[in-house]
Amino acid sequence: MARVRAPERPPAERGSRSGAGAREAAREQARARYPDTTGFVERDGVRVFYEVYGSGEPTILLLPTWSIIHSRFWKLQIPDLARRYRVVTFDGRGNGRSDRPSTAAAYAEAEFAADALAVIDATGTERAVLVALSMGAQRGLLLATDHPDRVAGAVFIGPALALDRALPGREPANTFMDHLDTDEGWAKYNAQYWRRDYAGFLEFFFGKCLTEAHSTKPTEDAVGWGLDTDPETLILTEIAPGIGDRDDILARVARLRCPVLVIHGSEDAIRPHAHGEELARASGGRLITIEGGGHMPNARDPVKVNLAIRDFIESITR
Amino acid sequence: MTTTWTRSLRRDRRALYISSPIGLGHAQRDVAIADELRKLHPDLEIDWLAQHPVTAVLGAHGQRIHPMSAELANESAHITAESSEHDLNAFQAIRRMDEILLSNFMVFHDVVAAGEYDLVIGDEAWDIDYYLHENPELKRTAFAWMTDFVGWLPMPAGGEREAFVTADYNAEMIEHVERFPRIRDRAIFVGEPDDIVPDDFGPGMPSIREWTERHYAFSGYVTGFDPSPLVEQREDLRKELGYHPDEQVVIVAVGGSGVGEALLRRVVASYPAAARRVNGLRMIAVAGPRIDPAVLDAPPGVEVRAFVPDLYRNLAACDLAVVQGGLTTTMELAAARRPFLYFPLRNHFEQNRHVRHRLDRYGAGRYMEYDASPPEVITEAIAEELARPVDSRPVESDGAARAAALIAPLI
Repeated sequence: MARVRAPERPPAERGSRSGAGAREAAREQARARYPDTTGFVERDGVRVFYEVYGSGEPTILLLPTWSIIHSRFWKLQIPDLARRYRVVTFDGRGNGRSDRPSTAAAYAEAEFAADALAVIDATGTERAVLVALSMGAQRGLLLATDHPDRVAGAVFIGPALALDRALPGREPANTFMDHLDTDEGWAKYNAQYWRRDYAGFLEFFFGKCLTEAHSTKPTEDAVGWGLDTDPETLILTEIAPGIGDRDDILARVARLRCPVLVIHGSEDAIRPHAHGEELARASGGRLITIEGGGHMPNARDPVKVNLAIRDFIESITR
Repeated sequence: MTTTWTRSLRRDRRALYISSPIGLGHAQRDVAIADELRKLHPDLEIDWLAQHPVTAVLGAHGQRIHPMSAELANESAHITAESSEHDLNAFQAIRRMDEILLSNFMVFHDVVAAGEYDLVIGDEAWDIDYYLHENPELKRTAFAWMTDFVGWLPMPAGGEREAFVTADYNAEMIEHVERFPRIRDRAIFVGEPDDIVPDDFGPGMPSIREWTERHYAFSGYVTGFDPSPLVEQREDLRKELGYHPDEQVVIVAVGGSGVGEALLRRVVASYPAAARRVNGLRMIAVAGPRIDPAVLDAPPGVEVRAFVPDLYRNLAACDLAVVQGGLTTTMELAAARRPFLYFPLRNHFEQNRHVRHRLDRYGAGRYMEYDASPPEVITEAIAEELARPVDSRPVESDGAARAAALIAPLI
């Protein structure tokens, strides 16, 4: 039997943008389902765009992750979940149709959590099941602990909660704003590099998010959504106040009152699997490990993720 | 709450049929295959998980459509949205349909989850084949997979990137099939081995033909109707349609979408010069539901019709057809032994490479490149083809029965 050799390394995503690809990147592809209602909430002059799909019970709030991408990253969850439940999602400030405020303080974790609360208020949602990817776990944890009566359950996918050691090369270095003498690897996670080659950073970063073979489409999608914002906005999100250190996070997790499901790829190259494991342990939640999976199983293993979310919802509403 | 569980030997044989809604061709051939399958299993119940425009064909044939079909996201509207003037990058269009495909797979999953079906037949049901290989534990039934082409091929305008991505898609497909041979209980290539393109799946990858011959059974082409009565009674048909014996009738038909307007304009513009070259030339241009006949600037003498009922009968009776490069229409013309000019859509890998290869094998039709065909070139081609005897190979008419015979043992 012929051995299949994987094709050589892909030409850079940017290469496609110079030709026919430019049109592709700019135009949103047809959705499986369009929102039933959309709107904006406004807090301190910052407008945040939300969408509502379907009318079932309960309501699921698909939280924003890091503003490097906007709510389209839930595109493989929305149409399926909305056939059964009511789905609310919104663009995190800094990307999509939401505003891009010009101060770091406006991108504090607490602001994202407050936006989430404003959106569930504006959509007449009494309680919601939260679903969070990566950084979404931080705002989700704030919302679930500060407003436990509004949260019926929480699903954390590849949670960005620093509960264990960081991956090698990703240790906190305090050199984010510095001019470095290298662009190699994680040295690209640097404000000066973002200003110099933002698209280069997006390609590097989403390459690390989607480490599974044959991930060209979700990688192109994510890079495209990344290009919907700009490096200066992203720099502000990076230097904004976060959720605190490991002890602060654990104290929050201990206060969680809702059922928890954690989904984490064993080969997550952004947030190690050990973080998800620790979150599940500390919260008494369930852990589903995607063996061989990376940081965005919502995009790469959508059938498994959707069925896991459905099962979780059925288990807590039965 | 009460439930009923039927003992296995008390169950009726049941199949769920999924026919690709991209292009109109699949529905017709799938109805023909379903009819043949019922001959082999008279007790077989077939439900269709289907969407527009497939449902229109199924409705006309009294087929049973599963109620969950209403939850499917529409694929053909997406394909139309991806098209522009005589242009459709079919590979990118299917890639950019990932959200719709995922959503439709989840609907399919819910339909079969209850375990009521013995067999799923998927005619280019990309979502089902792909996600079953990605989630093999979700397979609930026997699965018969059908396609009329194997291998994503890059088009030149896509450059190095598209060459890489098509090869990567092919590699994933090959890995899927070789790792999980249990997913496709039967893989049917709608055609013969000679219809397979001579290309490789990508640089350093297997030959498409060699690999396909190892992993597929072959049904021959499935026309969806028997062309022989139309061929035999062509003179009667011409009379019935009002074509005079001294007329040379050219039908220009560009499908039901709006993509064909540019081609239609160009072909009708070729009419005055062609009419001077060919005695008794009559041109009928079929605009379809989405093109306003008024915008075509048709010269005097060209008949523009919004709609022609039973277009295939007109095509079988005409002296020459001018069409796009879709497989179904061109093969209908080949089966009816009619001469035709076909213009594949720009950047459409299936029309430009797979379909063209197949038509070349039959010696049917004349390939025309849209960008190299101003009206005077079309005039020339019309005159030449009308003067040339048809020497294409006959198209097999037993494809539906052969496909059904390959599927029948699964139930």
